[in-house]
Amino acid sequence: MIYFDNAATSWPKPPSVAAAIREQMAGAGGNPGRSGHRLSIAAARVVEETREAVARLFHIDNPSRVAFTTNATHALNVALYGLIRPGDRVVTTSVEHNSVMRPLRHLETTGVCVEVVPCDANGSIDVGRLEDRLASGARLLVATHASNVAGTILPIGEMAAVARRHGARIVVDAAQTAGTMPIHVAALGIDVLAFTGHKGLFGPTGTGGLYVREGLELPPLVRGGTGSDSAHEVQPDFMPDALESGTLNVAGIAGLGAGVRFLIDVGVEAVQAHERALTTRCVEGLRAMEGIAVYGPADPVARCGIVSFSVAGASPSEVGLLLDESFGILARTGLHCAPAAHRTLGTFPTGTVRFGFGWFNTAAEVDAAIDAVRQIASWARTPSNARLRNAQWTA
Amino acid sequence: MDGLISFFASHHAIRAETVLKRHGHAARLVPGPRELSPNCGVALRFEFARRDEVLPLLAIHRVRIDGVHEYRPRTDGWEAAPR
Ligand SMILES: Cc1ncc(COP(=O)(O)O)c(C=O)c1O
Repeated sequence: MIYFDNAATSWPKPPSVAAAIREQMAGAGGNPGRSGHRLSIAAARVVEETREAVARLFHIDNPSRVAFTTNATHALNVALYGLIRPGDRVVTTSVEHNSVMRPLRHLETTGVCVEVVPCDANGSIDVGRLEDRLASGARLLVATHASNVAGTILPIGEMAAVARRHGARIVVDAAQTAGTMPIHVAALGIDVLAFTGHKGLFGPTGTGGLYVREGLELPPLVRGGTGSDSAHEVQPDFMPDALESGTLNVAGIAGLGAGVRFLIDVGVEAVQAHERALTTRCVEGLRAMEGIAVYGPADPVARCGIVSFSVAGASPSEVGLLLDESFGILARTGLHCAPAAHRTLGTFPTGTVRFGFGWFNTAAEVDAAIDAVRQIASWARTPSNARLRNAQWTA
Repeated sequence: MDGLISFFASHHAIRAETVLKRHGHAARLVPGPRELSPNCGVALRFEFARRDEVLPLLAIHRVRIDGVHEYRPRTDGWEAAPR
């Protein structure tokens, strides 16, 4: 089996991740920060060790500025509902995931003005055009660090500088880039960074979080018990407690910590170089083939470890099923929760087939996938081909 | 260890312990005496004599503390120390 769906969730995880979860459940099973006994302290220590590791990864000076959530979607909702008020103007891009677009479209119904800056057919943004939209008094810019469909990396540092010049804050969706590209929050000028734990950071599903720049007050989306300030009936206003109501996913956070420590040991730069090599090999192999359209930027440096493509004469779901059933290659097909991005690429509503590479993939696997796609493309050139019809029936 | 720091949140208590240990100070997390800190279940014991090094160290690392206390055997209880 070849797993090429790391952009949906990474697999396999480093063995230390499951080990850390098992160890937490066996030996650090108290409720973190709620009681003073040793199991509670041990659980709180697990959480804080992960917080420190995350802070180190993103070059955050003060770990208190990191709050844990259940995923990137939750983190983005905290940021967007916390920072946007009725009457505000918000600028975003046309390659956003629905975890950004759906909250924004809902906020629009409450009197928020949402402006979507179109990206080109490769998913690249024109920063001059973005600046025009920001110049007329926008409160916030929210942008993905890299498209989960085309893989296109957006110039977040430049975009943040433009936002700052016009008095707007910037929220960055790092779901695809956390752990796969170096991220230095201060150097990039990021106000809020939303990340998910289960993709590039190698944590289990149900983990994620956000970084909030020092000095920026982000009101909570959820209020409740925090184990702190218990004498008061109002929510604490200090980080991270302000944003962490209710008992955390300690087991998941234990796993996330092991994942992030693995990444720090290996080096994010090494991960990026490895994924870039696989991506370049894949793009070159597919582009050389007849009947295959590859989306996203031509320059490999402008792309994270994602390759989206389509096969002439076969739908993405047919291709995905054949890849899985005939070749044991697991990919994701369809719209990838990002209809706006597919409209931008011209692949809406059919969608694409997406390979998402990870640290544990190899060049040999990429070569096997290129051969498989070549075979499927040749089957697709024969309209009466039984394999494709079967795929259609079972899809 | 005759000094005790109380906190608003366990997050800061754990960070304080990490920072102090990293800088070679004795530090141990203990259940917070209720009468000193209603805010958080954990407190940190440290060497009260080294408070002039310990407190600035915590401030530099932006660890938020609630109060600093000294144990005085004669009164057999914790007393708030002037900050
Ligand atoms: C760009 C982007 N943003 C947000 C998300 C949402 O991540 P999660 O499902 O972990 O909340 C994803 C992945 O699904 C993504 O690719």
